[in-house]
Amino acid sequence: MIRKILNLGYQLLEKNKKLKKLKPVLEAVDGFFFGTDKVTTFTPYILDYLDIKRFMATVILALLPSVLASIYFYGIRVILIILVSYIFGGLCEIAFAVIRKKEIEEGFLVTGLIFPLILPPTVPLWVVAVGIVFGVIFGKEVFGGTGRNIFNPALAGRVFITISFPKIMTVDWYQPLVSGWAGFNRFKPDTVTSATPLMLYKSDKILTSFKDLLLGLSPGCIGETFRLGIIIGGIFLVLTRVANWRIPLTYLISVFFLSYFGNLLFPEKFGPPIFQLLTGGLLFGAFFMATDPVTSPFTNSGKLIAGVLLGFLTVIIRTFSGYVEGVMFSILLMNAFTPLIDYLVVERRYKPNNKR
Amino acid sequence: MSILKHYRTFKGGYKFFNFTGQPQDIIIDLGVPKVIFIPLRQGFGVEVKPVVKVGDQVKTGQIIGRDDENVSSPVHSSISGKVKEIVKKNYFGREVTFIVVEGDGKDELEKLPFSEKNWEKLTEEELETKLYLSGVTSLGPSGIPTRYRSSVIGLKEVENLIIHGLGSEPYNICLKTLLKGKNIFYFIEGLKILKKLLPNAKIYLCLNSEEKRIIEEIGKLTSDIQWLEISLLESKYPQGYDEMLIPIVLGKKFPYGYSAANIGIISLNISAVLHVYEAIVDGKPLIDRIITLSGPCFKENPHIKVRIGTPIGEIVKDYLKSEVKVRLIMNSLMRGYELKDYSLPMDRTYTHIIAIPENTERKLFSFLRLGLHSYSYSSCFLTFNKLEKYPDTNIHGEERPCISCGYCEEVCPVRIIPHLLSKIVVKHLVNEKLMHYGIFNCIECNLCSFVCPSKIPITKYIKEGQEKLIIQGCDRSRCILPYFNLKGLEEYQGIK
Ligand code: SF4
Ligand code: SF4
Repeated sequence: MIRKILNLGYQLLEKNKKLKKLKPVLEAVDGFFFGTDKVTTFTPYILDYLDIKRFMATVILALLPSVLASIYFYGIRVILIILVSYIFGGLCEIAFAVIRKKEIEEGFLVTGLIFPLILPPTVPLWVVAVGIVFGVIFGKEVFGGTGRNIFNPALAGRVFITISFPKIMTVDWYQPLVSGWAGFNRFKPDTVTSATPLMLYKSDKILTSFKDLLLGLSPGCIGETFRLGIIIGGIFLVLTRVANWRIPLTYLISVFFLSYFGNLLFPEKFGPPIFQLLTGGLLFGAFFMATDPVTSPFTNSGKLIAGVLLGFLTVIIRTFSGYVEGVMFSILLMNAFTPLIDYLVVERRYKPNNKR
Repeated sequence: MSILKHYRTFKGGYKFFNFTGQPQDIIIDLGVPKVIFIPLRQGFGVEVKPVVKVGDQVKTGQIIGRDDENVSSPVHSSISGKVKEIVKKNYFGREVTFIVVEGDGKDELEKLPFSEKNWEKLTEEELETKLYLSGVTSLGPSGIPTRYRSSVIGLKEVENLIIHGLGSEPYNICLKTLLKGKNIFYFIEGLKILKKLLPNAKIYLCLNSEEKRIIEEIGKLTSDIQWLEISLLESKYPQGYDEMLIPIVLGKKFPYGYSAANIGIISLNISAVLHVYEAIVDGKPLIDRIITLSGPCFKENPHIKVRIGTPIGEIVKDYLKSEVKVRLIMNSLMRGYELKDYSLPMDRTYTHIIAIPENTERKLFSFLRLGLHSYSYSSCFLTFNKLEKYPDTNIHGEERPCISCGYCEEVCPVRIIPHLLSKIVVKHLVNEKLMHYGIFNCIECNLCSFVCPSKIPITKYIKEGQEKLIIQGCDRSRCILPYFNLKGLEEYQGIK
């Protein structure tokens, strides 16, 4: 069936000169459905079964618990947000692929899903569109597409809209729905609260219970609150080797220790360690965004450095700055430092005249 | 003699589990072929000169080509009959002279000189001559030294001899089959012969740590031999290559790009030792080898005993499945050569003929499938080591830009950063820096290209970079020579 439609598409392209430009799109769809028929021509004669599509599909699989939970908590509108993100992000991607005459890359399947998950549930749809378009263009395409980008595109978009529309992004939060079918048959929650657990802590020193935090019963960004699911998804990613364990582990450990000692010395400033770990977007960021292979250091020691750096930055921003949440900014900053970290590590490792 | 409790291994590498079509535990003798094509360049060394003319009558095992001036070993006719022609042919990208012998079906064996059932009575010189004349010296990546020029180094210069029986490739010769019955005693006799030949060498026997039975047996049989050390190694690819064996077994650095012989080490596999025994005790020159027919495209996967010079087509014709399109590969799926011309013969260097299906089929949602039979470095497929894996030639995905996932770096056995190197090469930024990043350390194991989810032919780029660097005048000798005291260098350069 699909084969027939695709063949029809190819015929159309053959006939119509103007449409020829759209060939990458069709090829991408074709490859998406049918895989490839190419064979190896030189050594090695066998290749690993894993390809980028599978790689990205694994990330999406790991995100599924969070997606489902977010629909449960925040209603069917979440699906709409995700769709908007996919459609606008996808259009940008296609546009660039057509202009560059290159194939469409699968990376945006992940970007387009991560982006809505780190938005507050009250976000207007047009902001989603603006954010993802900015993220794809300025986070990725200006650097030359997947693999060359310095910043995580989803985060770039998110930070951009946080800075441009601070009111929309930080004031209103929904209280998650919990009873019965909750969000599965509701368009959106109706109770609006104004504070996430991190904000509550910052203003009134109220600690939300760990159970609420783990299960996502406290307000927060769409996909960041169901932390049990995030942990499961994250461990899944690490086990499949799609995400490297080094960054999340060092990140979480360093957040833990920094806030532990901070809390010991200045209890009124630093939050207690477990609370720090379980609030905000830390787990989500550590497992799904800091581990993005393209934008994190590729050297192993670089990864460890990046993890510690991230933990440090996050705790500092959370504690001392005007922002309540520091995960996004610290990951973005780490992205910026990535080439430098890698450069230093590689230079150190391969010092000339180093007897190897 | 001591058996290590724990096996030794290296960082990186990849273990191939359970590829379907592993060689079975049987040996079939393929018999005497009607016509043979003998290339005059086989195994280690340079091409030898023919010593027969068209029309000459030859016997099985008679020397038909030899060259005592250059590093080489004699070549024999593997059947008896008449020399039909002497032609030049393209053989794996090289012009090689072939001697074609038409058989007369008599198959009379011409034995090597100094026949003596008890080899210990032979003098060292006699042993060397016998071994040299048998052609066995050309087995192994750097030859077996004798008084004749059969290796780049002399007899007395060999300090270490490594015998390995590791199966680290997707398909491996079955040790159990090779050492069945009496063969295990022959093997140990072979070791003793080698020790007598190379008096200064310490002999290391490397075995796959999983082959418990063989280890025990050999351990028992050799418990009174002082000069032998058995090391157990993990059967992880590319463990079987000199470049990995030497650092692990001897703790020495390997002069990448040169041969192990240059640092006084010779490595041989187990079947070469058996051939040494046959040559010395039975007086039988190297006229046949045991190879395997592996891979899913053979109806059966036996070990077969083939006369050298038998055309590939002749060997596989009764075993190949006819309903699929097949690609034949020699020796290794990772590093071997594709066999396109079935009329070319098999030579001394063959150990496997592997047949895998040419998979051009497109599957719906191939990237979402479970993949119980898919092999992968990652664990993205629902599969277990015990399940059979079906190798095929499909590239399983499209080529994409590198996402720096780091798989290639993790598997690289020599600890270089393949994706960094290949990126530099692709950007045409080739300069000395590449050398400092260790580009010449690459042993072309092809693992990085194998695991890459973006399907980037990294090894190809690395080779390209090496070539460009050499054009620019950065020679690999500059990374190697200052740190090593290499032996037999001039001879070695002659061979390359
Ligand atoms: S395996 Fe491929 S995609 Fe991954 S880092 Fe290496 S070259 Fe890049
Ligand atoms: S860079 Fe060379 S040695 Fe390393 S994995 Fe690739 S082919 Fe093997």
